[in-house]
Amino acid sequence: MTEGSSTIAMRKPCSYSSGSIKHLLNAKLANLYLAVLLVFVSSWADAHDLSSANARFVEGLDGLAVIPYMYLGAKHMMTGYDHLLYLVGVVFFLRRLKDVVLYVSLFTLGHSITLMGGVLLEWHVNASLIDAIIGLSVAYKAFENMNGFKQVFGCVINPKVAVLLFGFFHGLGLATKLQDLSLSADSLVINMLSFNVGVEIGQALGLACIVMILGRWRQCNSFQKQAFVANTVLMSLGFLLAGYQLSAYWWA
Amino acid sequence: MSTKTSQIEVFEASRSRILFGSLLALVLAAAILVAFILPAEFNRDPLGVGGILGISGLSQMATISVETVNKEDTAFHQNSVSFELLPFEFVEYKYALREGSSMVYHWAVTETSNGEARSVSFDFHGESQDTEAQDSEAYVESYSEGEGGRESGTFIAPFEGIHGWFWANHGSKSVTVTLQTAGFYTKSLEFRDGFVKKQIMK
Repeated sequence: MTEGSSTIAMRKPCSYSSGSIKHLLNAKLANLYLAVLLVFVSSWADAHDLSSANARFVEGLDGLAVIPYMYLGAKHMMTGYDHLLYLVGVVFFLRRLKDVVLYVSLFTLGHSITLMGGVLLEWHVNASLIDAIIGLSVAYKAFENMNGFKQVFGCVINPKVAVLLFGFFHGLGLATKLQDLSLSADSLVINMLSFNVGVEIGQALGLACIVMILGRWRQCNSFQKQAFVANTVLMSLGFLLAGYQLSAYWWA
Repeated sequence: MSTKTSQIEVFEASRSRILFGSLLALVLAAAILVAFILPAEFNRDPLGVGGILGISGLSQMATISVETVNKEDTAFHQNSVSFELLPFEFVEYKYALREGSSMVYHWAVTETSNGEARSVSFDFHGESQDTEAQDSEAYVESYSEGEGGRESGTFIAPFEGIHGWFWANHGSKSVTVTLQTAGFYTKSLEFRDGFVKKQIMK
């Protein structure tokens, strides 16, 4: 126990004024941002699958539709609790902004490659199976956060490689959602890029929210104790998502 | 423990704690899946919990459709009959239909005055017995009645019996009522001037 114990000793009770978050945004702004975001997300309540009304709307569009596809990409990401849960796992113990940017960039690289590759090469992978793997990626990340690979299996899998690989699977999931919208062949590339940009915007908004909440949580003395439980819950949610999607694959 | 070289701050948890936590996560997820999600979303209820909570088949609502197809095993008939009605004459014409059997009908008065079909008094009704009933359990139900020159529709018999029209000419000139039907009736009956003319449909 070298550095860990000293950080714990230095921790103060919950307070908004300390920690690296201060450098990102001040507390009042952050509160406002969270409130606005919650309103948006709750107003989209049901909407992980791009709803059929959305699908009909974009099907009715001919040619270029940059803003609609961008909006749908952002909406899918912000209401897609599977992607958000995975991001929670990824940034759970990342305290420095530099690391957050690094890991999220790897994730973004991974999912952008397979999103565009999947659409352009017309891979029609099963959406339920991919979503099951995405669920398992959440459980994997939680297990990694528990330091499970080292403690249980005695080996460490490079977390950067893992985040890139799971990024590929998340991208395939995004591709299936975009393919559901039956893109018209003309201006396919531009519309797909718009969707991808939207995905990144949604991811940035969601991630900002996650990083801020985690940042505050880390200021609490209880964080260290709660972290294990939180990752257990995260893992359970991942398994639940995987089980749900596998059931959908077999029986729906 | 977290080190300076690692970008990820991990915490020391014992092997058994990690295994216990992971197992707990798996069991929790499996329990929620089997007890709630499978019955509610996929109409599968291995534990019977969904039935107890009344959530079984919660998402099946959309697949329960209104019956749009009503299959029949009796023969299909198409008929057209006409009745000439002198002033103050009346006629009754009925079909025998089983409960749930259907027919499509259209009747109209052929004669016109000022471009509109002449009116007759009509009463579209059904009787549970096919002859003048002495039985106390016999009953009559009226479906549509009034004055008019035509009517069309689809009819599904609410009970087994004879179902059809009473037409009366209250005008001063004779009229002809023509009835066209298609459906799954087994016989027709014409009641006129105190006699009954039966016809068994082949």
